[in-house]
Formats: sequence, C-alpha cells, structure tokens
Amino acid sequence: MNRSFFEALRNIYPDDRLLTRDVELLPYESDALTAFQTKPGAVALPVNEEEIIDTVRLCHRMKVPFVARGSGTSLSGGSLPIADGLMIGLNRLNRIKKIDPEQRIAVVEPGVINLHITEAVRQYGLYYAPDPSSQSICTIGGNIAFNSGGAHCLKYGMTSNHVLGMKVVLADGVVTQFGSESIEGVGIGPDLVGLFVGSEGLFGIALEITLRLMPTPQLYRTVMAAYDNLGRAGDAVSMVVASGLLPGAMEIMDRLAIKAAEASVGAGYPLDAEALLIVELEGEALQVEAEFAELRGVIEESGAFEIHEAEGEDERARIWKGRKGAFSAVGRLSPDYIVQDGVVPRSRLGEALVKIGELKAKYQLDVANVFHAGDGNLHPLILYNGREPGALEKAEALAGEILAMCVDLGGSITGEHGIGMEKREYLPTMFSPVEMEIMRDLRRAIDPEEIANRGKMFPGGEAPALQMRGMHPLERQGVISRE
Amino acid sequence: MTEDVLNSVAELQAFVKGHGRIHVVGRRSKTALHQVEADVALADLSGMTGITEYQPQEYTLTVLAGTGLSEIQAALHEEGQYLPFDPLLPDRGSIGGAVACNLSGSRRHRYGGIRDFILGAGVVDGLGRAFRVGGKVVKNAAGFDLSKFLVGSLGQYAIMTELTFKVFPDAPVFQGLRLRYESLDDALNAVFRCNRSTQELDLLDFAPWKRGWSLLAGLAGFQDTLPQRAKQFVAMMREETALLDATEVEGDGSLRDPLAGLTGDFLVKVVISPRQIAGFDAQLRDMRRRYSAGGNTAWLATGDIGALKKILEAEQLPGLVLRGSVDCPLIGKSPENLLAARVKQVLDPHNKLV
Repeated sequence: MNRSFFEALRNIYPDDRLLTRDVELLPYESDALTAFQTKPGAVALPVNEEEIIDTVRLCHRMKVPFVARGSGTSLSGGSLPIADGLMIGLNRLNRIKKIDPEQRIAVVEPGVINLHITEAVRQYGLYYAPDPSSQSICTIGGNIAFNSGGAHCLKYGMTSNHVLGMKVVLADGVVTQFGSESIEGVGIGPDLVGLFVGSEGLFGIALEITLRLMPTPQLYRTVMAAYDNLGRAGDAVSMVVASGLLPGAMEIMDRLAIKAAEASVGAGYPLDAEALLIVELEGEALQVEAEFAELRGVIEESGAFEIHEAEGEDERARIWKGRKGAFSAVGRLSPDYIVQDGVVPRSRLGEALVKIGELKAKYQLDVANVFHAGDGNLHPLILYNGREPGALEKAEALAGEILAMCVDLGGSITGEHGIGMEKREYLPTMFSPVEMEIMRDLRRAIDPEEIANRGKMFPGGEAPALQMRGMHPLERQGVISRE
Repeated sequence: MTEDVLNSVAELQAFVKGHGRIHVVGRRSKTALHQVEADVALADLSGMTGITEYQPQEYTLTVLAGTGLSEIQAALHEEGQYLPFDPLLPDRGSIGGAVACNLSGSRRHRYGGIRDFILGAGVVDGLGRAFRVGGKVVKNAAGFDLSKFLVGSLGQYAIMTELTFKVFPDAPVFQGLRLRYESLDDALNAVFRCNRSTQELDLLDFAPWKRGWSLLAGLAGFQDTLPQRAKQFVAMMREETALLDATEVEGDGSLRDPLAGLTGDFLVKVVISPRQIAGFDAQLRDMRRRYSAGGNTAWLATGDIGALKKILEAEQLPGLVLRGSVDCPLIGKSPENLLAARVKQVLDPHNKLV
C-alpha cells in the first residue's frame, strides 16, 4: 500500500475507523481457519454504503486488493486478509432497515448478525431459516459470500434460497441492484441473486439485502437415537427418507464428537453410543404429531439401542446447543483442528464413513465426525497439534484425501463453507479445465483487476490468475510453455 | 430460416459453431417467445428427452432439457415424489422451457420456485463449449452458481441440455378450499393474515370471481389430519378476515392451474409483491388475472398488450409475455443488465444466442 492510497483512504475515514497499527490489525490476521494468518495493510471500518462504494472505487482505481469481512467466522479461510491489502470490516453496517411481516420479508445491511434477524422478527411469528452453527456471531454479508447453510438445508435450502433482492457494489465500483420484494426474487431475466450469492466475495460487496422470512413452526418434535455403530445410524437416515417423511433436520455425531459436546454443553447425549442420530420434525402441530408417530416407528425399527424424545423447548435447545457447539467442543480435545465440509450422495454415507475410518488409521490422526446426514454433508474434524513439525501438513493431506473421496463418490468438496483459501487447490477436481476457465473469465469480466478477495477460490496463490490473453511474457521468451 | 432438430450435445455444439444467431425451441408451448427474425437459426431440442438419472433415495433427478413435464411428473409420482416448484404448463411444456422462462405454478407457495430446486445443469454456450454448472447432490457450495443464473435466462446466455433438481416426497392427500371475499382489499388482508399465521399452505392464490374475489387455498398432508387442519384454517379466516363463505373444492384441475380461464390473445407473467397489487390491479379494468403464490406472481390475459405494457412501465413491474405476437416478450421494467452483460460477455461474446 502506498502513501497516496493511505491519503485517499483518510479522506473517507476518520482516524478511529482506519486501523493501521500492528496492535489494531492483530484481530484481523485470521478468520475461523486459524491455520492461516496474514497481516492486512490496513482495516477500514465503514458505517454506511457510500463509504463502502468510495472505498471499492478507490481500490479499483489504485489496484489495491481488498477483502470484505464480517465477523470472520469463515471455516475455509474465505475472509483471510491479503498481505498488504485492505480489509473492509462491515460489522458496523448492522441495521435491520425494514421488517414487513405481512410480506414475510426483511431488508438488512450486510453486517447484521444472522441470529439477530430471527430475534427481531420472532414477535411476528417469523424466523430466518438458514442456521449455520455460527449463527449467533456470523453476519449476513458473510453468509451471502459463502452461501452458508446449516442443519435445515435439505428442506429449506441455503442462504441463496432466502435472498430475494440485493444492492451490490461490484469490484470495479459499479453499483447495481437486482431482485425484488416478491418471493419470486428476480423472477424475470437471469437469476443474478443466485449467481452473486456464494461468489465468495470475488464479485464485490453486498450493500443491502432483502431476505425471505419463514413462519415459525407451531411445533417441533425432536428425537435422539443412539447406535452402536455409525453405519447403523446412516442406515436409519435412509429408512427415514424411504418412509416419505421430510424432516427439517437429520444430524449424526460420532463417539468423539458426542463426548466433546456433552462435556461442553451437557446436552444429555448418550455417552455409550458410537453414533447419535438427531431427527427433527416441525410444522403445523396436527401434521407434526402424525408424522412423529410414523418417525418413531421407523426409528424403533432402525436398531437404535436408546431412543429419547426431547421434552419441551428447553431440552430441544440443549440438544441443538450441543450439536452446534460440537466444533468448538472438539477443539478443546486438541490444540488444533481442521473442519472439512465435503458432500457425498446420502446413500453413500456409510461408504464414506468407512473410508474416513481407514484414513484416520493411515495418518494416525484423530477424526471426529459431525454431519448433516439429511443432505450428505460431512464435517470431519481432523485433530492435530500445530506445534509438532509437519502435523498441519499431515492433517491437510488427510483432509485432501477426504475431499478426493467426496468427488469420487459423486459429491462435492464443499457443502456450505465454500472453497476460500483452504480448498482452492481442489476446485479443479470438481470442474473440468473448460469450466475452470469459464469461472476465471467470469471473475475477470466482473473484477478486471482481480482485487476482490484476491487469492481465494481459484488455485494459484496470492497473485492474480494468469491472464490468458495472448502469450505470457515468459512464454514469449521460451521459459514456460502450455501443452 | 434454418431449423434443426438436435438429438445430442455434440449435434448442438456443431449447430452453435456453424450458425450465426441462434434461438432455442423445445415444445413451443410459449408462442410469444419464438418470434425471431428470418436470419435466426432455430435449435430444436424437443428430441433431447429422457430421464438420465433418478435416485428417489437421494431426492435428486437429472433429465434432458427437452423432456416433457408430464413425463417427469409421472415418473416422480410413481415414487411418491414431486417437483415442489410445480412447473407451469405441465401438459405441454418441457423442463428446459420451464427453467429458461422461470415458470413455477401455484404449489411453489410451500417450498419455493425453480431457483430453490435446481442443483446443476449441462449447457452449451455461445462459443459452442459444452460444460456443467452446479452439481448433482442436494448441497453444494463449490464454484460460482451458474445453474441458478440460468433460471429465467431465456436461453440467451447458454443453452441447457440437461438439468438436475432436488425433489421432495409429495404429501399423500391434498385439500383445496375456496374462500370468498367481497373486494380485493378483503382478499389481500386475508393473504396478509395467512402470512402472519403458522398454518402451512401449499397453495395461496386469489382472483376476481362472481363480482367479488376468491381466495384459493390448498393444504397437503395426511388423510387423518387434513380435515381438522382445514377446519382450523377456515375458523381462523372466519374470525379474523372478512370472509363471506368457504367451500371445499377439488384438489385437481383449476385450483392448481393458475392459467385456468385466462383466455385472451396475450398471456403475461408479472413479478409483483403483495403490497404492489392494490395499485396495480386498480388499473387493469376487465383483464383476466390471477395472483399466485400469495400474491407474488400475477398471471394476466388480455387482448390489449399495449395497455398492459404502459401499466407495467408506470408501476415499474417486469413482465414476460408467454402467448401472443410481440416484438419482444420482455415488457415493463427491464431486467438488470450491468452484471448480466458481464456474464454474456463470457458465455456468448458474439451475441449468438437470442
């Protein structure tokens, strides 16, 4: 960052909202993927959209890379700073600008915390459905960048399915709007909301977002079933699906995750279980009660050695607190861990778990399994000690094999955390060279200087991707070649 | 005018590379979309049909773009599943056409529209490149989600050849209700009341009916509970809205078809929000119309497309003409074109796809 860029920044921000001293930058060096740390050149803290727009335009003009950051909860390193780039902290844009309960919509700024939306609309009998485990701290802007999910995605979809309209500033400073307050969203013309959500901050920054709200279910019925092996819990999920029921959530935790979560939260999980299945139905009371009777029959047939129905909202909340706190709880068992986020077809869950068991033995690392079984989204937590030489590399190699397995089984390398910094080298395992080229071209068409969240999603390090327009200078000199 | 029936991706690629401007057709159920100039070559995908992958236990379905909606629905019905976005024109349209025009039916009210159920697609772009976007599993956050971008794209960015969807188990029984109101205001207030309730409706449409307004509601669920749920719903509406009377109606037929009775030279889809309806509707005079999905889509039939166009422009509402002779099927508020043009530049830089 050069002096003239700083001077221009100072024209936008007062001193207390432009952080430049080492001690001020420290909290921004990393996100929830703590294995990576980089110090940004500066952190700007805008309080309105005009400041964001001015900042992005300045970055574009002076070719300074920037990263937009909310609460920094990305598990894929998606909000990791760019060395010597600008970090734009969006937490202060945290206003819920409009709630219209009769249309079931809310209009929010990007720094609004996910759970705060539900808290604000609960009085109208509504809630905001996407519920990533970090929902009490993560922001909507971050959810949009990474198309965050949660435990209820199979039935209700991910963030993308709950965004109806957006105002955004593209990476070159162009401001545009798409979508509407209609539940149809864009409705006519290509679905730009669908394209922008999940673009990992590579297209620009969302300034204002119109969200769809859902009616709070009349009744939840939650059941926990304990199994003596993971395969049996996986089979139970297939049985529930085959029964024609559509639960809001189906989650599985293995012994290590159960133990850690129980020690942390005291959720009442059975400590003698090898696998715990949590199934939740929700909706109109009469319908849920009828479905629950059927679910109970299916679970009883599934070989569970213990079945427990949550009694009341308090117990349900405890069960979910344990599940949502499982990552951090497992973190207490080990100095460091990597959370993976692969997806496999649901019917191949058993196969995937066996393979993870084999990899665990091969690498001699502990792996705790927590996953959204309803949609085949695995979250193996690979435990390691970062102080041991080579331990991180070993954990990453194991994580890489898990991702390769997900692709081999016909799944995805990420269900909800995004590619970010962590999985960028694996993106080409899911996409052909043509598909990679098209995505790169798309990025460059929207962000010609490749300044927005540079170095994320695409393989190839911090530098902007090689521009395939004519020959590369080294190619021209015969130093490199393409086949 | 050149017109070829293309039966494979390879044939389509060759067609795109070998022609100038190209327009895609399937079953031609939406006549207004296919009025192109004489120099435009027609790529007919009606031969690309069939279910290529259906795994009921995965809740996923992959089909070729030209596949008829009725064929898809029959296959899903056999397994007790359905397309929750309830594609429009189920007897005549193809799945590719439904996605390209973003045409969901009334039952989309419960779980969402096409964008909420599309998982991935195989496409050929304006450069003749064949590739996939999105994935084939129910959850996937890898790469840019171009599959959603294709929804509503009218085949002007890339040509869809294959589509993958999330599907759901269908409820065993469906119950339809007709609730009568004296005025649009009363019907709208009833819709708002529904939106503030925890009752889960599969369908919520309203339309002028017998000098008043009719609110059509649908509930889906188990046989044992449905009568009681319907009773609770009607009791709530009787107590808290200006309901004149309520009757049960057949679950099939006109209840589920938002286009039923919409006769007229032109048929138009309008994206609207419930709060915009009162002002919009007051200008429509005797146009036949039905508001669908809780008042979030309007279906209109008219003989005077010019008048409707003016109303849409004044109200800043986007419309898509599906039936009738028009120069351009997009009327009213124009779709966003700053970001979309960047995508066009990548997928179809020579503006071949029209």
